[in-house]
Amino acid sequence: MLKMVVCIKQVPMVSELPWDPKTGTLKRDLAEGMINPACRAALDAAVRIRESEGGEIVAMTMGPPMAEEVLREAIALGADRGVLLCDRRLAGADTLATSYTLARAIEKVCPDFDLILCGFATSDSETAQVGPQLAGALGIPGVAYVDEIELTGRTVRMQRLADNFLETLEMDLPGLITVTTGVHAPRHVPLGGLQDAFTGAEIETLDAKALDVDPERIGVKGSATRILNVYSPTSDKKNIVLTGTPKRIVERLFERFDDRIGGTIGKDLKSDKKKS
Amino acid sequence: MDFNPCMKHKVVRKAVRMFAEAELGPIAHDIDRNARFPWEVVEKMQPLHFFGLQCPKAYGGAEMDSISYAITIEEVSRVSAAVGLLLTVHNSVGVYPIVRFGTEEQKSRFLPEMARGDRIGAFCLTEANAGSDAGGVETIALKEGKEYVVNGTKIFVTNGGVCGTALIFAVTDPQNPQKSAGVFIVERDTPGFTIGEIEDLCGMRANPVSSLFLEECRVPEGNLLGRIGDGIRIGLVTLDTGRLGVAAQALGLAQAAFEDSVRYSKERQQFKKPIASFQTIQNYLADMATEIDAARLLLYRACSLKDAGKPFSAEAAMAKLYCSATASRVTNLAVQIHGGYGYSKEYDVERYFRDAKVTEIYEGTSEVQRMVIARAVLAQRT
Repeated sequence: MLKMVVCIKQVPMVSELPWDPKTGTLKRDLAEGMINPACRAALDAAVRIRESEGGEIVAMTMGPPMAEEVLREAIALGADRGVLLCDRRLAGADTLATSYTLARAIEKVCPDFDLILCGFATSDSETAQVGPQLAGALGIPGVAYVDEIELTGRTVRMQRLADNFLETLEMDLPGLITVTTGVHAPRHVPLGGLQDAFTGAEIETLDAKALDVDPERIGVKGSATRILNVYSPTSDKKNIVLTGTPKRIVERLFERFDDRIGGTIGKDLKSDKKKS
Repeated sequence: MDFNPCMKHKVVRKAVRMFAEAELGPIAHDIDRNARFPWEVVEKMQPLHFFGLQCPKAYGGAEMDSISYAITIEEVSRVSAAVGLLLTVHNSVGVYPIVRFGTEEQKSRFLPEMARGDRIGAFCLTEANAGSDAGGVETIALKEGKEYVVNGTKIFVTNGGVCGTALIFAVTDPQNPQKSAGVFIVERDTPGFTIGEIEDLCGMRANPVSSLFLEECRVPEGNLLGRIGDGIRIGLVTLDTGRLGVAAQALGLAQAAFEDSVRYSKERQQFKKPIASFQTIQNYLADMATEIDAARLLLYRACSLKDAGKPFSAEAAMAKLYCSATASRVTNLAVQIHGGYGYSKEYDVERYFRDAKVTEIYEGTSEVQRMVIARAVLAQRT
C-alpha cells in the first residue's frame, strides 16, 4: 500500500489579520490560523493520488497545541491520521532544525513511507527551504515547485514551470515533492468530514523525548539562522493632485517637473524657456 | 460557563467562510439583481453536505451539532442571505421534520436524496387565510382507500420554485383543524402538484419563493408524517428549529452590514477626516457591535439547549426575535453610515437592508415570537 506523508504548517490568515501601522508587523496575537495554501495543495495532490492508486495519507505538523486545528482540517480534507510535533523545545526552529525534526518524526511514525509531499513554501516566511532540506535529511531524492504529479508503479512523473519552460521530470520512489498552488483550485472542506474529524479521529502528539531527537539540533539551539527583524517595506513615494484650470495645471506640472518631462521627450525645456 | 468557541466551531466557521467567500462572493450581487437561483453553487454545495447539515450520517448527512449548524447558516448568509435562506429552510423545516417524526421507512425513502441536495425541501403552511394562525389552514386532505386526495393552495413558499419534496400542512376536517391537521410529504412529480409563478419580493430575491397548487393530488398514506391530528404539534416543533436557522441568517446579515460599515467609515473622508473619527459614527458602530454580540449569545445559548435535549422553544423565539430586530437595525444604520452610496444598488448594504426586513416576518413574525416568549414567562412566574 502506498504510504504518503504530507507536511503541513499552520500560518496566520493574513486576510483576517490586522497590521500594526506603528511597527509595520502583523498583530499575530489576533491571528486566526489556517493551513498554509501550498500545504493544502500538497494534501489535495496526495488525495488525488490516493483516489487513483489507493494508499494511506499521514498529515504531520510541527507547532503549538493550537496547530491540532489544521490536522483536524486535514483529516476532513482526506488525511487518514494526524501527527502533531509539539514541544516547547522545538519552538523557534529555523528551516534546518525544522527539517531535521520532521525527518526524525517521519522515520518514527511512518518509516516505510513511499512519498513525502510538502507545500513549495509557506505564506508566512516564504523560504521554500523545508521541503528540499527534508529530502536531504531523509537521504531521498526531491523535486521542488511541482504543478502536476502522475504516478505509475514506483515512478512519479512530474511537471513544473521553470523560467517559462515546462519541465517534465521522473523520480523513483521513495521521494519528496514540493507542490505549487498554481494549477488546481483548492478543494473545499466537506462539513460531514469536519464533524467526523472532531468526533472520530485521534491526533497523535509527540514531544522531543518521544521523537528521540538530538536536543542540540532542534528549536532555537539547533537553528543555524536567526531572524533579526521583520518589517514591511515603506516607500516615500506620494501622489500629487494638481488642481485648477487645465492651463494652470499644465503650467504647474512643468514648473515642478520640467527637467524630468524634458528628459522623457528628449528636450531641455529649461534652456528652451530661457531662449524664448 | 465558557464563552469561547471550541476548536471545532472555529474550524467550521473558517471552512464555511472560505467556501462562501470563494463561491458565493463573486455572484451574490448578481443573483440578487437578476433574481437568479444559483444552481451552479448548489452543485458545489451538494458533495460538501450543505443539504444534510443535521441529518444523521446513516442517511448521508453531516450530523452537525446545532451550534455548528447556526455557524454554517450565519457564514453563508454573511455573503448571500438568499442562499442562507435556501439552506435553512431545506435543512430545518424540510429535512428535520422527517428526521424527527418520520418512520424508518419514510426516513430511508426520503432522506438520502434530500441530504444529497438532489431534492430541495420546502415547508408549506402559509395560505391566503392562514399564517400566524395555523388553525386557519384550508388545504384539505380526504382519505380515499390507501391515498389522501389533497386540494388547496399554498403561498409564499420559500424554495417553492425549486423544491423536489414539499411538506404540506393540511386538514382532514376544516371544522376541526386542531384535531385533524396533518403533514404530508409530497413529491414534485406527483400528478396534480404544480408550482405557481415566482414572487417579486423586496429582498431574498435569489430564492424562488412561489405559490404551490394541489389539485386532486393523490398522496400515498405512507407519506403522512406522524398521524392525523399531529400536524399542529409537528408544525410547532419544526418552527422552533426553523427559528434557530432564521436567527442565524439574520445574524449573518447583521455581521456583513457591520463589517462593511467599519471598513467604509475608515475609508470615507469628510471634513478631511475619516468619518470613523466622528463620535456619531462611533456610537453607531458601538451599538451595532453590542447588539450583534448579544444576538449571537442568545442564539448559541438556544442551540446548546437544543443539543442538550432541554426545552428551547422560548429561547429560540428570543433568539429569533432579537437577531431579526438586530439585522433590521444594523442594516438600517449601515445604509445611514454609507450615506447616498448606501442607498445605491452598487453597494452591498442596500441588499442587506432589503434582505433583513423579512427575517422579522417569516418563520413566525416578531409578534408571534413575543407571544411564545410571553406564554413561557407567564407559565413560569406566579
